[in-house]
Amino acid sequence: MDINDKTLKALASAVKFREMRQEVISSNIANAETPGFKAKRLDFEEALARALDVDGQLTMKINDPKHFDVGNGGFNNLKPEVYEDPNGVVSESGNTVDIQDEMAREAENKLMYDALIQMINKKLGMKKYILNSER
Amino acid sequence: MAINSVSQMNQTLKNYDVSNWTRNIELKDDFDFRGQFSELSESSRSTKSFGDFLADSIGKVNQLQQNANVAMERVASGESKNLHETLLAIEKADLAFRQMNQIRMKVIDAYKEIMKMQM
Amino acid sequence: MDLLKSMKISASGMRANLKRTEVINSNIANAQTTRTAEGGPYRRKQAVFGSEPARDSFSEILEGEIDAHAQSVHVTEVVEDTKPPILKYDPHHPDANKDGYVAMPNINTMIEMADLLQAQRAYEANLKTLNVTKGMAQKALEIGR
Repeated sequence: MDINDKTLKALASAVKFREMRQEVISSNIANAETPGFKAKRLDFEEALARALDVDGQLTMKINDPKHFDVGNGGFNNLKPEVYEDPNGVVSESGNTVDIQDEMAREAENKLMYDALIQMINKKLGMKKYILNSER
Repeated sequence: MAINSVSQMNQTLKNYDVSNWTRNIELKDDFDFRGQFSELSESSRSTKSFGDFLADSIGKVNQLQQNANVAMERVASGESKNLHETLLAIEKADLAFRQMNQIRMKVIDAYKEIMKMQM
Repeated sequence: MDLLKSMKISASGMRANLKRTEVINSNIANAQTTRTAEGGPYRRKQAVFGSEPARDSFSEILEGEIDAHAQSVHVTEVVEDTKPPILKYDPHHPDANKDGYVAMPNINTMIEMADLLQAQRAYEANLKTLNVTKGMAQKALEIGR
C-alpha cells in the first residue's frame, strides 16, 4: 500500500474543493438581499474526474494538458470553475439568490464533506494498522 | 434340530462347513483408501498447491482494495452519490485485509515454532 | 483558511442584517414622529446592502489579490425615503399647518413588520451557515484521530 496513494490524493483534493464551495455558498447566502448580486456556483467534479480518469480504467490518459506527471495524477494543478448561475430567477432588485436552494446545496456539501473525511480516516487507519502489526 | 449326542454334533458340523459361513469377500490386493476419500483423491490429482491458494486469496484481497479505491474516487469526483455502497466496499476491503494479516501472523508464528524444534 | 473566510462572510451577513433590523426598529418606533432635528416629520429609512470581495489578510489587500468568488456583505448606506410625507387632517395637533394638516411619516407598520421578519430569517440563515462551516472545520480536525 503506497503512501502516495492516488485515492488519498483524490480525497484530499475533493475535501479542499468542497471547502471552497462552502465559501461560495456562504457568500451567496450573505448576499441574498444585496441588489444586483448574482448567485455563484463552483464546479470541480469534471476537473477531478479527468485527473482520475474514472471510467473503469486505472491507467492515465497522457494527452491531457493537466497530466504532466503520469502516475502522480497531476492533482496539484487542479482549479475549480467559478461562474454565475445562468438559471437564476432575477428578483426586482436584480438579485438571483434563492436561499432555499443555497441551504439545500450547503446540506449536500456538508454531507459529502463528512463522508470524505471519514474515508480519509479509514485509509489512514489502515496504514497505521499495517505499521503497528509488524512482526 | 436339537443336538443330543456327539455324533449328532459331528453331523451338524459336517453339514454346515465353515466355508459356507464365510461369504466370498473379494479383498483387493491392497486396500485403496484413496478411493474412499474424495478430497484426498482430488488433491493428489489436482495441480494446485497451498502456495497457489495463498496467491489466489491475496489476489482477491487486492481486488477488494481496488474496488474500494475506485468507489472512493468516484465519490470524490462526485460521479457517485452512493455513500452506503462505498462505505460497504471499504469495510469489506478492510476486513479482508485484516483477516489476511492475521493469517500472515499465524503462519509466521507457526514457522517460528517449527524453527524452534530441536532436531 | 478557506473555512475561516467562509465564517467571516457569514459573520458579515449577520452583522448587515442586524444593522438592517436596527433601521427597521427605528422606523417602527418613529412611525408617529412629527418633529425631528432636521425639521419636518421622520422620514422612512432603508438599509442598502452591498457586496465586496472578502479579504482575508492585509497582505492580500496589498497584493491586490482579490478572490472574486467570495463576497462579504455590508450596509453601504442608509437612505432616506424621498417620497413626500402623508398629510393627515388633524387641526388640534400642535404641529398642524395653517390648513389643519399634519405631515406624518410615510411608514406602513405592516411593511416594516414584513421587512423585520425577512431580516430575521436572513440572519438565521447566515447563522446556520456559520454553524455548518464550524462543523466542517471540526470534522477536519478529526483526521487521523
